[in-house]
Amino acid sequence: MSKVNLLERRNFIKGMGAAAGAAGMAMAAPAMAVSQSANGVKWDKEVEIAIIGSGFAGLAAGIESMRLGAKDVHIFEKMSYFGGNSAINGGLFAAPGTPMQKKEGVNDSVERMVQDQLKAGRGIADEALLRHVAEHAVEALQMTFDAGSEYHPYLQQLGGHSVARTYQTTVSCGAGITQPLLKECRKLGVQTHNRAKFEGFLVNDEGKVEGFKIRQGYYFGEEDTGKLMHIKAKRGVLMATGGFAQNVNLRMAQDPTLTAEVGCTNAPGATGEGMYEMFRLGAIPVHLAHIQSGPWASPDEGGFGYVSNYSIYNFPHSMAVNCLTGERFMNEIADRKTRADAELACRDKQGNPLPPILITSYKDSKKHPNTKKVIKYNVGWKFDSVEELAKHFNVPLKPLKAQIKEYNQYVKSGNDAQFGKNMTKAKGKYIEAPFTVVRLWPKVHYCQGGVQVNTKAEVKDSFTGKPIAGLYAAGEVCGGVHGVSRLGSCSIPECMVMGMTAARTMMKA
Amino acid sequence: MKKLSLVFAVALASFVSLSAQAVDQREYHKDVIGKDCKTCHDQGLKNYPSDQACTQCHDVDELAEQTARSEEDKWQNPHNNLHYGKELPCIECHGEHELKKPMCSNCHTFKYDKHK
Ligand SMILES: Cc1cc2nc3c(=O)[nH]c(=O)nc-3n(C[C@H](O)[C@H](O)[C@H](O)COP(=O)(O)OP(=O)(O)OC[C@H]3O[C@@H](n4cnc5c(N)ncnc54)[C@H](O)[C@@H]3O)c2cc1C
Repeated sequence: MSKVNLLERRNFIKGMGAAAGAAGMAMAAPAMAVSQSANGVKWDKEVEIAIIGSGFAGLAAGIESMRLGAKDVHIFEKMSYFGGNSAINGGLFAAPGTPMQKKEGVNDSVERMVQDQLKAGRGIADEALLRHVAEHAVEALQMTFDAGSEYHPYLQQLGGHSVARTYQTTVSCGAGITQPLLKECRKLGVQTHNRAKFEGFLVNDEGKVEGFKIRQGYYFGEEDTGKLMHIKAKRGVLMATGGFAQNVNLRMAQDPTLTAEVGCTNAPGATGEGMYEMFRLGAIPVHLAHIQSGPWASPDEGGFGYVSNYSIYNFPHSMAVNCLTGERFMNEIADRKTRADAELACRDKQGNPLPPILITSYKDSKKHPNTKKVIKYNVGWKFDSVEELAKHFNVPLKPLKAQIKEYNQYVKSGNDAQFGKNMTKAKGKYIEAPFTVVRLWPKVHYCQGGVQVNTKAEVKDSFTGKPIAGLYAAGEVCGGVHGVSRLGSCSIPECMVMGMTAARTMMKA
Repeated sequence: MKKLSLVFAVALASFVSLSAQAVDQREYHKDVIGKDCKTCHDQGLKNYPSDQACTQCHDVDELAEQTARSEEDKWQNPHNNLHYGKELPCIECHGEHELKKPMCSNCHTFKYDKHK
């Protein structure tokens, strides 16, 4: 960085306080964070490593840094509870070359996983980062084993993956990972602070992040609660603050179709101010407009709910049908964007949304633990005959019957002439009564965009291309890794590997 | 279901009228706390009670036992739930002076008939 740049940076940072103050008046909640010069700051506290955010990325970083000999690691979380999106996540974890793949005889490799992801990324994914994550994914999986996570005894093959490489926790939820990791963090001595909201960086004359401001005792949504503290971070600050899917203004700025009327699967804390603060500091924004909607969500419950995991498991041996026509309208295991777009196109004659249905044979669906719950909580239904099913959803009976017959031929031949679905996992699983059915409608789910990082989890500066000293980022807050479409179950490995990576880099710094 | 929402509506209506008198309080709390607001408002009267305020009297393990569900639904126990274990601060679901929705209902259709 040249001297001139430095000076500008400094003035820029100085000026930001006043500017944001004025802008703050007009701005809706959440109140914006502001970075400042660290000159003359009276530090309230000094820590060795500061981690902002308590999801997979933050927790993995906490554990790894303690294992590498850190003495004083702190996790700051703005919500009253820990875990972010990670604690409500589906618990699906992809990795290549795992013990279970060896047992099931699945032929997989780092290269293969990277190629699958590059394909879904449609040419704009970050190959180096994908490879780095795939290479270390088994280490991350091992970290969860060591902490006590338990997984279903089978692998799943999710949409866009060319082989079965996905583990899932026995509770079918990311909490099966975050709860053990949080315990492990505390066991190792990581200090965890809830109601602690990051409010901006404190930057020295060389542009290095020396510390940050945190609002301790913060109540979510009430921006001036709590007390502002200045904390110095000796080895650096790791931003693990997740995505911004809950911030309707920010997501609409990127994609105006994602209005408040579109549902969202994310935890309330996914509001993005940590990411935007890194941009103000000079981080490079990548792929912000690529915001992914989950094609497996249900309009009959909030958030991710129960149906999402139910349908993720069942898609390979199920048939998705447009209620207006009684016919299939997509490859049930195509990547997410393809399916979400296809679902959004299902509308009644007036053009209003008409959520399509997913039809599965009960004998096959019931193997998933959520099936019972889906029926019990009235977000899915069981039918003894096609007639009953067709009547319930007002689907034309004749074409539906014909479609089932046709689809069952594909099950037999292993070749889907309609949509080219990979029928391997559907083998022998004919669509027959009794059926279980759920309704589908996409929900805003994942932000591919964020700040650019390198394979050391350092945040790159937009003008110099060099890392911003003292600043690290990991997890969904980072952008560009996946490109246009992230494959399911590929975020857990990314968040955890990059969190571990950040810890390794910081411990060398 | 219909019945439940009716009860809820009535409760809500009575809450609205009561809030006009500024402070609504549960009968059983009146017996113990009386009018000493500071018992709960340990962070000052204008602030929320701390996350530890309720656990001065209520034992989390006991609460978890009282609301335990069958093995199949065991993680729907609000006081020992799947996502946050026993760590969820009480005020995420309960308010002394206002009715709140159980946090689970953000994503799930579980029923908590006795929730208040
Ligand atoms: C419902 C759901 C299901 C999913 N299922 C899967 C799946 O099965 N497999 C998979 O691979 N991916 C899945 N994903 C995606 C994946 O869960 C997320 O991408 C991942 O959890 C992000 O982890 P993270 O550590 O980056 O952030 P998060 O887990 O979101 O954690 C970020 C934390 O930072 C906190 N924070 C934010 N701003 C601040 C601030 N200013 N100060 C302090 N703290 C702050 C937040 O409150 C939050 O707790 C799912 C996502 C959702 C929403």
